[in-house]
Amino acid sequence: MLRNLKKSLPHVVLLSYLLVILFPFLFVLFSSVKKDNNEIALNPFGIPKEFVFNNYVEAWVNAKISTYFFNSLYISIFASVVTILLGSMFAFAVTRMRQGKWNGILFSLVLIGMLIPNNALMLPIYTIVRKLGILNTHWALIIPYIANAIPFTIIILAAFMRSLPREIEEAAVMDGLKAQGIFARIIVPLTIPAMVTVFIVNFLGNWNEFLLANYFLSNDELRTLPVGMVQFRDQYQMNYAQMSAGIVYSVVPVIIIYAILQEKIIEGVTAGGVKG
Amino acid sequence: MNKALKNPLIFTLFVLPALFLFLMFFVYPIFSSIYYSLTSWNGVSDTVKYTGLTNFKKALGDERFWVSAKNNGWFIIFSCFVQVPLIVLFSLLIANVKKLKGLYKTAVFMPAIMSTAVIGILWGFIYEPNIGLINKIIGLFGVDPIYWLSDERVAMLSILITNAWQWTGFYIVMVLAAILSIPGELDEAAKIDGATGVQRALRITLPLIMPIISVVIMLSIAGAMKAADIVIVMTKGGPAGSTEVMATYMIKYAITNFKYGYGNAIAVLIFMFTLVVTAFYQLVIARRNERIEY
Repeated sequence: MLRNLKKSLPHVVLLSYLLVILFPFLFVLFSSVKKDNNEIALNPFGIPKEFVFNNYVEAWVNAKISTYFFNSLYISIFASVVTILLGSMFAFAVTRMRQGKWNGILFSLVLIGMLIPNNALMLPIYTIVRKLGILNTHWALIIPYIANAIPFTIIILAAFMRSLPREIEEAAVMDGLKAQGIFARIIVPLTIPAMVTVFIVNFLGNWNEFLLANYFLSNDELRTLPVGMVQFRDQYQMNYAQMSAGIVYSVVPVIIIYAILQEKIIEGVTAGGVKG
Repeated sequence: MNKALKNPLIFTLFVLPALFLFLMFFVYPIFSSIYYSLTSWNGVSDTVKYTGLTNFKKALGDERFWVSAKNNGWFIIFSCFVQVPLIVLFSLLIANVKKLKGLYKTAVFMPAIMSTAVIGILWGFIYEPNIGLINKIIGLFGVDPIYWLSDERVAMLSILITNAWQWTGFYIVMVLAAILSIPGELDEAAKIDGATGVQRALRITLPLIMPIISVVIMLSIAGAMKAADIVIVMTKGGPAGSTEVMATYMIKYAITNFKYGYGNAIAVLIFMFTLVVTAFYQLVIARRNERIEY
């Protein structure tokens, strides 16, 4: 009896915590198919009496969630791919090439980037972007996103590349490969597992970014999903059913990605966190 | 052999693009911030006037700046004294259960991967006075509705709760990884000696995970100094500036009010505050946590 209690007590505590995590999602999910605020108010906890899927149609069409969604998608993917490319070149050079003290100096320099609270750099970045003449274009997000993710990317990829045995290169050099050939044909293929992790973490970071996206773009057609959602909320403040449908649109893709790749995501995010 | 990997030209070409972006978006902005913090400039015009420390004097004498600094302080206090104990408790519990371990680990992490902006909206709805979930729940116990985000007395707390909801699981997973990497023999030995579960948690596991808890605290402090998007989305700093944090105050001045010089002075102050808080933590508190070898 006492044994059973001792065994189940942790589960009681943990399941309550799980409930606190999951219930807000359920609440929004149910609210998104309710008819109006009145039904949400009368029946906040339960499954709706009738399912009103029209909220989803309204949110997708009226609120231009589709536009925001594809803006976010392509900005996030493009920036993440370029970051991986530049980051892996840098990581390869400082871990596998032989330039004496330069390897260490350059690597440590970039490492410092992890310690800088990057929100505080927002104003100078705003000025740079304005002087480049790309304010209010997607480049105003893409270039800072690439730059911002570079320290994390280099740290993770460099750690991975360092762990590859030296003998691989010796064999490659015997076969007549140059540095760029070793990079493209040997190191990159071997580093792909780490790259996938880094890509996902960077992708999520870009997908979720709000501050730059909010202040660097003023044209509605260019907005990303988080900014578009906030604007949508401000417009439809009083229609909570539609707002919930909007929230579902912006949360579901991330949950799907997470469900498929959760091991990689947790691995990547914790690795970055511990080293930061 | 060495020749192929010693090619300075290729080295330079490989290093340069990333390095260039790093210098342009990390190093240059720091110096640029320091420079403009000493000027009076609206961010657009051609005339930049050197004004020395005027901006800093103004900020330090500005009551609303201090309110925002105090709110960053609340973020730090809340995460160290409310979140960290919960993180440790939940991590220990998850590490010791046999069933459902994977489910707990996966589910608690979920809020951390979502956009802070969307979470802000979601919680704004949950806090909604008339039809929001929380007032409905407390209403079941006969408590009057609370205006979570528009009452000056509770607005900051509401934001802190949302922030904790988002990030607690993230840190749990980090601490959990540390607990699970402790060799099992240590625990086994203590078990044979007759130590209870609680004793083992307090005497063996906890001391061994102090370094990672230290990291969690450092990351929380860094996160607290960065907090901005959640405030902008949930309250825009209101009501009456009661939830403003330093970063939102900086943005408000520099971008909305065109006081670019003053905004940069606040940016420099954010740097300095972060430096002071982390240095204080490192010197006074973390110093005692030496490296742990198993």
